[in-house]
Amino acid sequence: MLNLLKGALVTAALLAAPAALKAQTTLNVATAGDQNMVDYIKDFLGPMFEKTHPGVKVVAVGTGPGDSGSQKIYEKLSAQKAANVEKWDFDVIVAHQKMAGQMVTESLLAKYRGNIATGAMVTSATASNALGTNVEGFVMPMFQSQTAIAYNPDMVKNPPGTYAELQDWAKANPKKFGYNGIKGGMSGVAFATGWVYAFGGDADKLMKGPYDAATKAGWDNALASLKAFNQNAVITPGNAGTLDMLNRGEIALGPVWVDMFYTWLNDGKLPPNMKLKLLGPGMPGQPMYYAVPAKAAQAKLAEEFIALATSPQVQADGIVKKFNWYPGIDAKHLQGKLDDATWKKLFADLTPEDLSAKAKPFPIAPYFNDILESYEKKVAN
Amino acid sequence: MSRTPALGLLLVAPALALVAALFLVPLGYSLVAAFTENGAPSLAHFRKAFELYSTDMIFTLMIVLASTVLIATLSIIISGVLTLSETGWLVAILKQLYRWPLFIPFIVAAQCMRTFLAKNGLMNNTLVAMGALDPAQTVSFLDWRGIVITFVWKQTPFVTLMLAAAMASIDRSTIEAARNLGASRPRTLIEIVLPQVAQSLMVALVLSFVTMLSVLSVPMMVAGSQPTMMTVDMAFRINAYGDYPTANALGVISYGLTALAAWFYLRHSLKEQGERI
Repeated sequence: MLNLLKGALVTAALLAAPAALKAQTTLNVATAGDQNMVDYIKDFLGPMFEKTHPGVKVVAVGTGPGDSGSQKIYEKLSAQKAANVEKWDFDVIVAHQKMAGQMVTESLLAKYRGNIATGAMVTSATASNALGTNVEGFVMPMFQSQTAIAYNPDMVKNPPGTYAELQDWAKANPKKFGYNGIKGGMSGVAFATGWVYAFGGDADKLMKGPYDAATKAGWDNALASLKAFNQNAVITPGNAGTLDMLNRGEIALGPVWVDMFYTWLNDGKLPPNMKLKLLGPGMPGQPMYYAVPAKAAQAKLAEEFIALATSPQVQADGIVKKFNWYPGIDAKHLQGKLDDATWKKLFADLTPEDLSAKAKPFPIAPYFNDILESYEKKVAN
Repeated sequence: MSRTPALGLLLVAPALALVAALFLVPLGYSLVAAFTENGAPSLAHFRKAFELYSTDMIFTLMIVLASTVLIATLSIIISGVLTLSETGWLVAILKQLYRWPLFIPFIVAAQCMRTFLAKNGLMNNTLVAMGALDPAQTVSFLDWRGIVITFVWKQTPFVTLMLAAAMASIDRSTIEAARNLGASRPRTLIEIVLPQVAQSLMVALVLSFVTMLSVLSVPMMVAGSQPTMMTVDMAFRINAYGDYPTANALGVISYGLTALAAWFYLRHSLKEQGERI
């Protein structure tokens, strides 16, 4: 009798299981970047999307910070394409520029921007050009992020305004400037890239191309001076390492991501009087992109998800107010959606003029790799 | 009771298959990737690895060797006290305390050290508050010293555990004989106890050496990246460039260092076996 009962229960469970599964559609969102990216999708966007789409469950998967996170997404999609899988595992991906360009080149992404209403609100050049690759139509910028120098005004009255001034300042104040090299996160990579922009010759060519493999030979002086500069600098352990040392007063100046800086400031992890400054001629920033894999299982839902994520209200509440990024769509669509205080805070230290003059993109992908590798060869080794 | 060899083979087959699929196949792939370029045999990836990371290779070897020496010294002292001390309460406390770091993962240890060893971190702040140091005298240990400290802190208990167990199992009459004849405790430790457990010490140190060589989180979190350990370079090769061949070449160089340790160990143990015969 007991066995019969058990059997009946098992049968019932087996019958019920597929029904329960069918009732729910899963939208898989894979995101590169720090934990805050996963939190943003899981706690903010996901629940909002689930509310308007009953029966849909948003699952956020974090693949890790920096380009390595995007690399993992690329490897997964590339492997599924090579294996001729019908439906790929990710419906929406959030990736960095370098890998997004490669994914477009290798036909791993769907051309979807024309299908959604918010697609027309994007004006940024990065929406069509990802480090030299034409990505028009394949991506929507989720946000724009920027590096800048953070400093403690109690320790530095007149912070340097250009790379050349910083060089002199570091000589006069040894071990008071810190950055994380190029293996500890992108703020250090951005600083080193800006150095090559400043002292390596034609910066415009590095950002726009065309690529010429001989160009890197012209960076020797710039890299030698960076090596000398490093003698007076502290190499910190990671993006957060720089902020930690700024917080503890161990260094007075250091390059940071603007969004991380404001988030730490809001959390009380940095002295409240700390400020930001952009070094001339310019420091790089980057967007992250929303994209839909070419064979996403839920392509339609994915587009709706991205449309919601790039709508002016969500960009205002989520991207700007909650996470201190610059919006991915044109900022003019956000006017009226944001309170004045938030708007002003975001542009307090770095004015829109500063940003338009000194906020640069990263170099096109082959130059980017050349800069990193030349740094490894001539500065680090 | 007799067992047929076929049955035995069948029993270990799942384990063997797992080892083959998860270890031997990837190892083969990485060797092939390291030694070929566009399908043809080539040493280009090794040239690149040496050109870019020669400093880091020496740095890695120095860190791991220095840590191994410190670990050996500390674990000999601790297990020596555990075996030879006649102060009951000291042994009891030490026995409880020394194992703690064993249960803490490398990444957690690294995270703790990151705030503990900083210039204005917990350690220096405590010293300053006690009046032992002036705030201006404090230095940051977040460089190679931080890595060595973390490794030693983390691996000493492991080696001590094996060494103390080995010391506990030797014939105590040899110790008592030495003590009766007037040998001091340090002398007993070095001349009587240690030679009897050298093999265990060697095994534990080789295992530690290999473990430290493969840790990524500690150099990444504790120290800045110039110079850094080879694991960080491997991760960077893959993360920044998607360059698996050079990363694999660095991996092969790591195997080389590991093999060196293994060779030392094998030579030593074979010699010892030879002496016994």
